[in-house]
Amino acid sequence: MEEQLASVSFQVPDMTPALPEIFVLTMACVILVVDLFLTDRNRVITYLMSLATLLGAAILTFSLHTGETVLSFDGSFISDSMADVLKFFIYLVCAAVFIYARQYLIDRQLFKGEFYVLGLFGVLGMMVMVSAHSLLTIYLGLELLALCLYAMVALQRDSGIASEAAMKYFVLGALASGLLLYGMSILYGITGSLDIGDIGAYLAAPGSSDNLALMFAVAFVIVGLAFKLGAVPFHMWIPDVYHGASTPVTLYIGSAPKLAAFALVMRLLVEGMEGLHVHWQDMLIVLAVLSMAAGNVIAIAQGNLKRMLAYSTIAHVGYLLLGILTGVTTGYAASMFYVIVYAIMTLGGFGMIILLSRAGFEAENLEDFKGLNERSPWFAAMMAILMFSMAGVPPFLGFWAKFAVLEAVVRADMVWLAVVAVLFAIIGAYYYLRIIKLMYFDKAEETTPLTSGTDMKLVMSVNGLAVLALGIYPSALLALCAGAMATFGG
Amino acid sequence: MNIEPIIFYFFSAILVAASAAVITVRNPVHAALSLVLAFFTSAIIWVLLEAEFLAITLVLVYVGAVMVLFLFVVMMLDINLVPLREGFIRYLPVGALVAIIMFVEMVIVVGSNRFGLDVFGAGMKHGPDYSNTKELGSVLYTVYVYPFEIAAAILLVAIIAAIALTMRRRPATKFQDPSKQVLVKRNERVRMVKMAAENKTTPNE
Amino acid sequence: MIALSEFLILGALLFCLSVAGIFINRKNVIILLMAIELMLLSVNMNFIAFSHYLGDVSGQVFVFFILTVAAAEAAIGLAILVVLFRNRRTINVNNLDSLKG
Repeated sequence: MEEQLASVSFQVPDMTPALPEIFVLTMACVILVVDLFLTDRNRVITYLMSLATLLGAAILTFSLHTGETVLSFDGSFISDSMADVLKFFIYLVCAAVFIYARQYLIDRQLFKGEFYVLGLFGVLGMMVMVSAHSLLTIYLGLELLALCLYAMVALQRDSGIASEAAMKYFVLGALASGLLLYGMSILYGITGSLDIGDIGAYLAAPGSSDNLALMFAVAFVIVGLAFKLGAVPFHMWIPDVYHGASTPVTLYIGSAPKLAAFALVMRLLVEGMEGLHVHWQDMLIVLAVLSMAAGNVIAIAQGNLKRMLAYSTIAHVGYLLLGILTGVTTGYAASMFYVIVYAIMTLGGFGMIILLSRAGFEAENLEDFKGLNERSPWFAAMMAILMFSMAGVPPFLGFWAKFAVLEAVVRADMVWLAVVAVLFAIIGAYYYLRIIKLMYFDKAEETTPLTSGTDMKLVMSVNGLAVLALGIYPSALLALCAGAMATFGG
Repeated sequence: MNIEPIIFYFFSAILVAASAAVITVRNPVHAALSLVLAFFTSAIIWVLLEAEFLAITLVLVYVGAVMVLFLFVVMMLDINLVPLREGFIRYLPVGALVAIIMFVEMVIVVGSNRFGLDVFGAGMKHGPDYSNTKELGSVLYTVYVYPFEIAAAILLVAIIAAIALTMRRRPATKFQDPSKQVLVKRNERVRMVKMAAENKTTPNE
Repeated sequence: MIALSEFLILGALLFCLSVAGIFINRKNVIILLMAIELMLLSVNMNFIAFSHYLGDVSGQVFVFFILTVAAAEAAIGLAILVVLFRNRRTINVNNLDSLKG
């Protein structure tokens, strides 16, 4: 017996790089228990503890940041610059989501601990995805996030359309996981390893990528990723889920998970399968063009702002893929910049819907923004900044994001692709600018003053001004992304 | 005479038939039971592949818990079966066509020339003293401790979500509180009342 | 002697059956959930077959985690189904048309 035990060589892994994850998990469990003993009047403690958790995790991530790549847990966990930067933005975006959501949830008797606990577990899932370095951890992080999202959509239990959206989301999400797993199984069979590093090394060897089964695996993996990202033609769930879920949940789904999904694509396609770049590049081009086209064109026909922003998300996913498909470091950095910018803008866009809504009035139709300038010139200006930015008008932040990916595409000698992207960006500008027209040149139908709390108004203003300020000085954020991507690609 | 191919083909045939039944039968209860059969036969095939621990887990977790949950929900919800069959015939040709095309492509890809005996050999056969459970256990809590912890978080999320979504508090429901029952005092249950003595009455009054 | 490819073809067959099931039962959410279980079964079959023929235990570990996650997923899926049924008195996806994609 002792002999057998001795044969199990076990070294306690270095847990220091994973401290932020451990902290978030512990705090989520603590909040879960504390919340049980709170009455509805004291529920704000849950809210404050959730924010404190995100703050603590941010401090941990920041203080552990060395800029070096550290592997732990037998190679299944990686801590590098990209992971740290993306994690930092995930905390930031989720904290804003929690602040925006508070008043909305209180007004509709949805202010429960579950929203915040599931939200924190979702954050944990995103952190795992961002730091995953094996097929196994990628899958588990993805599922941890997805399960939290399905449940959060359905959390509004008395709403028929929310449960319907949750069911659609669940079925398509589970299908996507199945496709991704099938691709992973073939990949494992060929390379004989679950470790991203080993897979990358195997596929980088000359001649190894010339295998029909590998292309087959790549196709399955890309279809699975496209489902999760919401790229056309695998986008069906996005408008329905964005529309059906309550606005704070839509805000959550639409913003931070995209940062994690970007990391997922980077880990799987770039770090793991860079040797197969020629194979996945063509597939990504098709997805990107279709997403930019369908997203921008269908968005014009939408009267519901949440659906419109859903199609706008689909279009943004198309632009996001442009940088990745170039297969060079500058392209990856451009995409990373794009996804961070996208998360900040989406936060503002859905945040405005929450700001305008009150109990019994959702403010999710375009008409609800009519004459906003008369009601609140300040927030009309914030919304205008956000819409200009999403449309890609200089000097706002969104312009630099589009500029960066287009520059990367042109540098990769795909000028036609850049032309197509600009063309659809111009079509897309129409529906963003339409909202600005509604706010400034139409008569207000609603005259009730805005009722949101001071914290929300403050963060919303910071959100809007950040889009403006970062748009005027984009170089810091651009340099941050370039630095984070330095270890990727050649 | 090697018995393994006979076992493999026999149970594969049952597995495929059961899977086909899952997606085609009219009644969801029958579909669930077909899926149970599919899991049992898969478990047998996994034993052929020397994955005994997973084979037993499949039976215990899937047949014992997940499928029971399915059956429970199917029977709890009063589902009208007729409209659920609408469109079945309409979608059947498309579905069958897609499946057949996919299958042909997949067989070309995973077929014998890439994953055949000459490339991968006959697989690793272990001796009689080999314990699959021990091998899995020895890596699960060491090499895979990080995924193991994430899986724990996933299960916790499932618990939270299932309770948050389906638990309803009905104010009218009556329930027992055992701690109250145990802690009850005599004077909470029995009240001593002082009364004046009754007068004696006669039976025929 | 059974070759690896025979197990993979069995997995592919299960996978295609589940895809066909998703196509033809798009109205019935319960069967859809079962088809997804079938898809995961086919993936598990692949992983275990590869694990055996590669002589590498990590494939089996992956299956262990897929089984865990799939159980959690089924619990949440069925919980959502129950919530949906309470709201709509049906699980027929055809009646679920308040959201048009």
